[in-house]
Amino acid sequence: MRSMPSLPQFLLAVAASFIVLFAGGAQAVPSYARQTGQACVACHVSFPELTPYGRWFKLSGYTIGIRQDIPLAGMAIAGVTSIKNNDDGTGMPVTARNNLPAFNQASIFLAGKATDNIGGFVQYTFAQTYSTDGTGSGHSGIDNADLRWVGRMGSLDANEVKLLYGLTLHNNPTAQDVWNSTPAFGFPYTSSPTAIGPSAATQIEGALGQQVAGLGAYVFYDRTWYAELTGYRTADGVFSFLRHGQDTGSPGSVARLQGGNPYVRFAYNKEWGAQSMMVGAFAMRVKRYLDNTDPTSGTDRYTDRGLDAQYQYISDPHTVTAQARYIVERQDHRMSFAQGLTANTDDRLRSSQIKATYYFEHRYGVTLSRFAIAGSADALLYPSGAVTGSANGKPDSRGAIVELDYLPVQNVRLMAQYTRYSQFNGGRRGYDGLSSRSPSDNNTLLFDLWVAY
Amino acid sequence: MGALVGFVGNAFADDASTASDAAQKVAASICAACHGPSGVSVSPQFPRLAGQQEAYLLAQLKAFKSKTRAEADAHDYMWGMATLLDDSLIAGMGHYYATQTPAAGIAGNANLIARGKVIYEQGDAAHGVAPCASCHGKSAEGAAIFPRLAGQHAAYVRRQLEAIQKTFRDSPIMHGVIKDLDSAQVAAVAEYVQSK
Repeated sequence: MRSMPSLPQFLLAVAASFIVLFAGGAQAVPSYARQTGQACVACHVSFPELTPYGRWFKLSGYTIGIRQDIPLAGMAIAGVTSIKNNDDGTGMPVTARNNLPAFNQASIFLAGKATDNIGGFVQYTFAQTYSTDGTGSGHSGIDNADLRWVGRMGSLDANEVKLLYGLTLHNNPTAQDVWNSTPAFGFPYTSSPTAIGPSAATQIEGALGQQVAGLGAYVFYDRTWYAELTGYRTADGVFSFLRHGQDTGSPGSVARLQGGNPYVRFAYNKEWGAQSMMVGAFAMRVKRYLDNTDPTSGTDRYTDRGLDAQYQYISDPHTVTAQARYIVERQDHRMSFAQGLTANTDDRLRSSQIKATYYFEHRYGVTLSRFAIAGSADALLYPSGAVTGSANGKPDSRGAIVELDYLPVQNVRLMAQYTRYSQFNGGRRGYDGLSSRSPSDNNTLLFDLWVAY
Repeated sequence: MGALVGFVGNAFADDASTASDAAQKVAASICAACHGPSGVSVSPQFPRLAGQQEAYLLAQLKAFKSKTRAEADAHDYMWGMATLLDDSLIAGMGHYYATQTPAAGIAGNANLIARGKVIYEQGDAAHGVAPCASCHGKSAEGAAIFPRLAGQHAAYVRRQLEAIQKTFRDSPIMHGVIKDLDSAQVAAVAEYVQSK
């Protein structure tokens, strides 16, 4: 159970992906690059991490360049996942297609400017899922989306844009953010779709993605001060396209929020020489119905508060970037507790991550990351259960990620990513309460091919 | 917000009263994102343009547009940007940046600067390198097609000298002059002109 995918298997996956992607003569240039005529490295350290110019492009509403008649782009990911111990303790596999090539997802982007003041992107993704019984199924639906209107005010001498301001309509909290220290476009940029991960995550770390509509207003003054206020609501009615493809009819399938849910964000940004840095804070309050199909089911309340920071040194041939974030979530389980679904009326959850990346010639990259999740013990929220359960009812997990990247051309990335756990769902050996499984049994090696065109 | 005026939105506004107004709007809303306000860039990835020679600016914008300037950065950044410019706007951009106040020099490594000063002013006869000052001016202010180098980012100057040595830039005279400069000499000259 400890074998890794062989080189021939991996090469087969790579070759198969190229054939799938380039059959039909797809153009090898994403649509923003077509719009601006610029290369990927103008905006990205490595997709999706943004350079200072990439941040400016996004805050400018994706409007720099010439409008394209067909602003389409594509992206696809395929890989091989290898978990260290693929036996759940009863002889059954933990992950599907362990050590086997797997096609993960393909996306189409409608991405570009509409006018000099309006632009955006909508990502539509076909995702392949696999079951441990060997079967697989595909699912299509909207992925991240961000539509913007932007305005500009110049300095008195009219030599620069002093104030950039705009509106954003999007469907994933922090997908609108331009620093990669926030969750939606934070590290890891690609993860195994079949690997096992910790059970607990804060609301702002993906729990609402492609389920909500966020309408926000932002200002960026003097390339230094950023402020944003966004309200999130359930993506229903006229906003239902923002969760297109989601199962909205089954209890527990999507988030249903009560009214408007505020998100605020402040950041201080500084650029000097080849370097830039940002320190920021964000907060969000969420009132989430217990049952998304029943508007009388009552709500639990979540308050997420986060601090984040980013540093970048972008030069040629050396590029160094680092991000950090720390999120504290207060969970008010007033309704869940009343229904006997949690052991406590209030719980806390803390999530932290630091990451550093080095790239040589924008081509060879290495990234190191550490992450930690910790919080209140709640035996009903984090029950025991094979592999994904918790023996002591605690969410505590910690580990590290090492990633090697190689970009033979700017829109193709080959990646080897190793995730190592030292603590998982509250414990160490026997953490799940049902077996002698150790956190390290969930260590995962992922070989991955990412292509955008 | 008192320091703000209301030019809003459209970088290519139809109501621009003159070509220079249009050029200034493009410079402020697009070029400044990398080249800085009035062409004084922060990052050494991007050259300072304030006070650059107008004839040189026009030649480079045309070289980007015709793709005859072909080092990696030109391909990655400027080929696309140049497609946004027509001849009238190129003329306006050249005039706009040429008339901006150049930024002061940037202090650097004193030893490198001293070595660079010798090469800049006297050349390197042993390697057939003519004095830079003979074309670029005693104060590195440039002249017509010969670019201003004073205050330019050293890292940018180094990359350009290497690009010219490798003939990624269509610059036969300059290639002949610097083809035998070694990397230490390139670094010294770049540090010197940056400090001017």
